[in-house]
Amino acid sequence: MPGSDEAMLFELSGVTKTYGAITALDDLSLRAKPGAIGLLGPNGSGKTTMIRTLLGLIHADAGTARVLGMDVQNHPLDIRRKIGFSPEDECLFPGVAGIEFVAYAGELVGMKNSDAMQRAHEVLDYVGLGEVRYRKVESYSSGMKQRLKLAAAIVHDPQLLILDEPTNGMDPEGREDMLHLAHDLAHHKNMSVLFSSHLLPDVEAVCDYIIVLGAGRLLVQGEIAALKAAHNRCFEVRLKADAEIFSREITSMGCLVRQQGEVLLVEIPQGGSPAMLWQAAAVHQQQIRHLRPQRSTLEEVFLNAVEHV
Amino acid sequence: MPIIDQGYQHWSGDLSSHAWRWLAVTRQGIKITMRNRFLRYVLFAAWVPAVALVAMLSGWGLLERKSTMVSTFKQLMRFLNPGVVADPRYYRVEIWQLSYGYFLHVELFFSMILILLVGPSLISQDLRVNALPLYFSRPLRRVDYFLGKLGVIVAFLGMVLIVPAVVAYIFGLLFSLDISVIPDTFAILLEVVAYGLIIALSAGTLILALSGLSRNSRYVALMWLGLWFVSSVVGSMLEGVHHQQMRYAAYAHAQQIQTRRLQADRKAGKTKSEWAREAATWQQSQVAYQASVLHDRQTDWRPLVSYTGNLSRLEDHLLGLNNAWRKLAKLEPSITARNRLLARNTGPQFPWYWSAAVIMFLFGLSLCILNLSIRSLDRLK
Repeated sequence: MPGSDEAMLFELSGVTKTYGAITALDDLSLRAKPGAIGLLGPNGSGKTTMIRTLLGLIHADAGTARVLGMDVQNHPLDIRRKIGFSPEDECLFPGVAGIEFVAYAGELVGMKNSDAMQRAHEVLDYVGLGEVRYRKVESYSSGMKQRLKLAAAIVHDPQLLILDEPTNGMDPEGREDMLHLAHDLAHHKNMSVLFSSHLLPDVEAVCDYIIVLGAGRLLVQGEIAALKAAHNRCFEVRLKADAEIFSREITSMGCLVRQQGEVLLVEIPQGGSPAMLWQAAAVHQQQIRHLRPQRSTLEEVFLNAVEHV
Repeated sequence: MPIIDQGYQHWSGDLSSHAWRWLAVTRQGIKITMRNRFLRYVLFAAWVPAVALVAMLSGWGLLERKSTMVSTFKQLMRFLNPGVVADPRYYRVEIWQLSYGYFLHVELFFSMILILLVGPSLISQDLRVNALPLYFSRPLRRVDYFLGKLGVIVAFLGMVLIVPAVVAYIFGLLFSLDISVIPDTFAILLEVVAYGLIIALSAGTLILALSGLSRNSRYVALMWLGLWFVSSVVGSMLEGVHHQQMRYAAYAHAQQIQTRRLQADRKAGKTKSEWAREAATWQQSQVAYQASVLHDRQTDWRPLVSYTGNLSRLEDHLLGLNNAWRKLAKLEPSITARNRLLARNTGPQFPWYWSAAVIMFLFGLSLCILNLSIRSLDRLK
């Protein structure tokens, strides 16, 4: 994806932002194409600052940022017309009904009263709050509040939807609903989604692409499927008998072995082939019950990425 | 049977231009605020002086036309000098000025109450519930946000200051049925509108600045009360003490004169009762006191301490209320009576730009506070 000449969803080029002695973004450069993008990183990695930069809310000390082809410093308002943002905080005005809240969000973007109200009804139906649209927002549950924020973010049909920790504080059922909505918007409604979350399964459920930040720098970015691709030299091996002898044998052949429960994670040396595993088993007359190329989980990808930060 | 899809539909309508984006904030603010029942009562009460203004201007129009309708009510105008009632057309401008002056004086009080009810939560609530990301992640500039919030104050003050003033003006025109009323009084209407805007802008920015200082609306309300009520009380106390000093000085001076006169009378062999001397001393001190009050008003800075006192001084200047009283005072038979009338009715006469400077200073201070608040509003959390 990086380096592609296709139209980019957003591009950051050498963006640096400091708050006093703290460097929130450190010469950050990245490009992302339209789609479902997960934004990962430990606390203080610069995710929020990156979102602020994309929204044009802060001025970077150095570098340039473009969203939907527009420079964020020169066209922040035009960009925000095309972005929907659902913040992490509750941030709902007390005393207003759900429908009023969403319609107001539409009016703030520039929709006419009547359009905003009609559209608010539609999106509240979509997010499953149609039955409670006239209830005061303070009476909503955490899950309903998250969905209400989502409705307010999509009321004007944005091209890019930014969700900041959208499943925080939600019960499993509500979380499932939220992930389903985010996935549906990203994959069936032609809306790009930037999904910032600490919960890797949530990111995996919604996104096809991830960006991992650490200490304000880009650590990893790429298609989740590619990052989780089968390793050429790593295998999962399970034996019928004692693995101890087998481990010693293949270690002597130059393999790196790590035991994970009943499974041995084996990395064969450069130039080696899985045949050497069969060979080692044959030498000690052991039976291999399971042998397959190892695949990384998203958690491993993430942990590997942030390991040295 | 057709299947109605309630799933997500794309929207391709037009978005309005950016210039009026603040109006959405104002509209929402008015909508939410009007749900306060107590506020609606205050609004209703604030219209009562407007009814009185309409009645006064309409009645004066009828009086000018020598309508029989008002002959019954002439008794009600006994508080005015008979010379004024006898020639209503000559005193038209002054009566209109003073009517609007009284109206605005009462409405200034209601304006402060309305601001107390409407203003404190305008920004502090957004700070409290972290609602700012909802605004600033949308195509809304900080200035739009503040204009929108200011618009709420301006709308409510406009409802009790400007709208009734315009309605009363129209009624005054209709009942006078005299085209010459327009050139005579149109400037008054413009001055009233200008004064209404000054109150709305000054008090609006001030309450917004206070509202941006705290997440708790009650603290903001207390700050506003402090600014309005306490400053008025302090200003009045300072004036009261000063006037008392002047009264004592005038009395002491009168006593000295009476003592000298007594000595002269004794030499001349004239006698006067103690009571008569005391009465003469008191009367003389009152005359001297009223004269000194009138003189002192041109330099007395004490009303500057009061926020509403400064607004009132601008009102006096814009509407020319002191000059109107001076014209009416000419009907009084003696200088003493004239001074008494002026001392009772005219307001402070120190240079109006002193008050303008105070109001401008508070306006600038409010903008500075808002500017600082605006920076902090950029935070997403």
